[in-house]
Amino acid sequence: MSAPEAYRFTPAHAHEHVTRVIKNVALSRRYYLLRLARPDGFIEPVAGQFVHVAVPDAGGDARFFLRRPFSIHDCTAEFLDLVIVEVGPGSQALRRARAGDAVRFYGPLGHAYPVLPEKRVLAVGGGVGLAPLYYYGFRAPATLGKGYRLLYGARSKEDLFLDHVPLEAGGVLLATDDGSHGFRGNVVQLAARELAREPADAIFSCGPTVMMKAAQRLADEHGIPHYASLENRMGCALGACRACVVPTTLEGPSPYRTVCHDGPVFDGAVLQWDELPVP
Amino acid sequence: MSTPSSIAVRIGPVEFKNPVFIASGICGYAEEYSPVVNLSRLGGVVTKTITMQPRKGNLPPRIHELPHGMLNSIGLENVGLDRYVNEKLPQLNARPDVAVMVSVAAETEDEFIRLAEAFAARDGYAGLELNLSCPNVKGEALDQGRNPALVERISRIVKDRIPNKSLWIKVTPNITDVASVARAAEQGGADAIAAINTVIGIDFDLETGKTVFARGSAGYSGPAILPIALQKVWECAKAVTIPIVGIGGITSVDDVRKFFLAGATAVQVGTQLYADPGLPERIIDALAQNPQWVTQRALPQPVRTP
Repeated sequence: MSAPEAYRFTPAHAHEHVTRVIKNVALSRRYYLLRLARPDGFIEPVAGQFVHVAVPDAGGDARFFLRRPFSIHDCTAEFLDLVIVEVGPGSQALRRARAGDAVRFYGPLGHAYPVLPEKRVLAVGGGVGLAPLYYYGFRAPATLGKGYRLLYGARSKEDLFLDHVPLEAGGVLLATDDGSHGFRGNVVQLAARELAREPADAIFSCGPTVMMKAAQRLADEHGIPHYASLENRMGCALGACRACVVPTTLEGPSPYRTVCHDGPVFDGAVLQWDELPVP
Repeated sequence: MSTPSSIAVRIGPVEFKNPVFIASGICGYAEEYSPVVNLSRLGGVVTKTITMQPRKGNLPPRIHELPHGMLNSIGLENVGLDRYVNEKLPQLNARPDVAVMVSVAAETEDEFIRLAEAFAARDGYAGLELNLSCPNVKGEALDQGRNPALVERISRIVKDRIPNKSLWIKVTPNITDVASVARAAEQGGADAIAAINTVIGIDFDLETGKTVFARGSAGYSGPAILPIALQKVWECAKAVTIPIVGIGGITSVDDVRKFFLAGATAVQVGTQLYADPGLPERIIDALAQNPQWVTQRALPQPVRTP
């Protein structure tokens, strides 16, 4: 099955935007939701695209040269939502941003998930990988329940932020490793069960590398395409600095492709899964 | 209304509209950055290093942020000379408002001859910056920049073939006597010394007990290296009469003023562009308002001795 023509980033979309924080709230132990006012001129993003956010000056010695890429979790005429997990000093500093603070970013950037409203898509998310799959299912093209099934996994119930994001009410199937909520086991095991129940035309995934690698195996077993959204440390986010590359089987001067510009969504069949950064 | 021409700088046979450039490796082949930087306002852009053959670059990870700088281990990933001159240079030809210095590296003198001849046969660029000092590749590249006799020969090989273009030699800080390399470049006919390339550094992952990068050592850039870069520019300025292009750790207009005081004629902004793409244009605005800064020196210009 050939992949449909996917939305492609063109650099003209990569404007620098300056906007304000609307709110910044904890979702769970490690996750928070940063809601930014949608700046004028911010074009309509496609699920899988990201913004490259400058960490506001934290004061003192804390300085950040590198911006942080965050997948778009939701976007309306008024706001832009990012779900962020605290992993280091940058994401910790961003967590301290308060309503009214100025934030700079580029975006929307990157190669998105193909938009397949007529197809049966099984989406598999883990951890902070919920964002693009949520945006696809709930907002654009908003096909959750109409051929788009979204499965989301976390370690345990506390990591599911059920009080804040209407996952279950919206029809998302949940899995926890410890069985404290929903399916007991990992989300790819749940996906295998769901595929056995009803086939799909494609799998979307976003989450830890091991999870997406398992999703690739599942897609291969079923002979269907798999689109994975990858994460990596980025420098420029514009395809220039070649810092955020991942190995592929593609031809060219180099087997490496940039997550920022060639991705973050890749056709899983071209990725060298054993060589990808973990997690 | 400022008068941009008042801060124009001449480096060899080429006049640039102002002394503010983007450093090699930061903005790819330049066009990638056009959405966030008005490239035509810059003195110029130094594009990513080109080699004879395409290079696939180093194993990821390739960058590592630290509190006062950043390590990189990209490994000169590039499309190779043929694709560069056939695909990228024509794009530059279509942008005569953007001055491009093309960074090139080669493994042998023979390769430098072939590179220089390929560029001599074409237009669309302002000059070449020879990367004789990349720390992230195997073999001779870094050693070239540590060998004054070789630097002089390579400079002459290239300059003889592109007499009407500007030739800059990018020097390594990972050397005790940068002045001898700068003098050798000047003797070989270089039009400028570009100082400095990244400082060799290393970091370890405490969880794995291994180096962060597959190759171990990497290139350190960012604000931490500013005083090192100023020192090397200062040493070069006392050694040569050709212009010096100061590079390393610039995050503000004040940093640029320090490079001029140290003896630089022009500057390149590097790592900070990732955080602050508006910086080069703000520097240009400030210099246009205060053109006397560009020529301000802490030392008198050295006098060439016969």
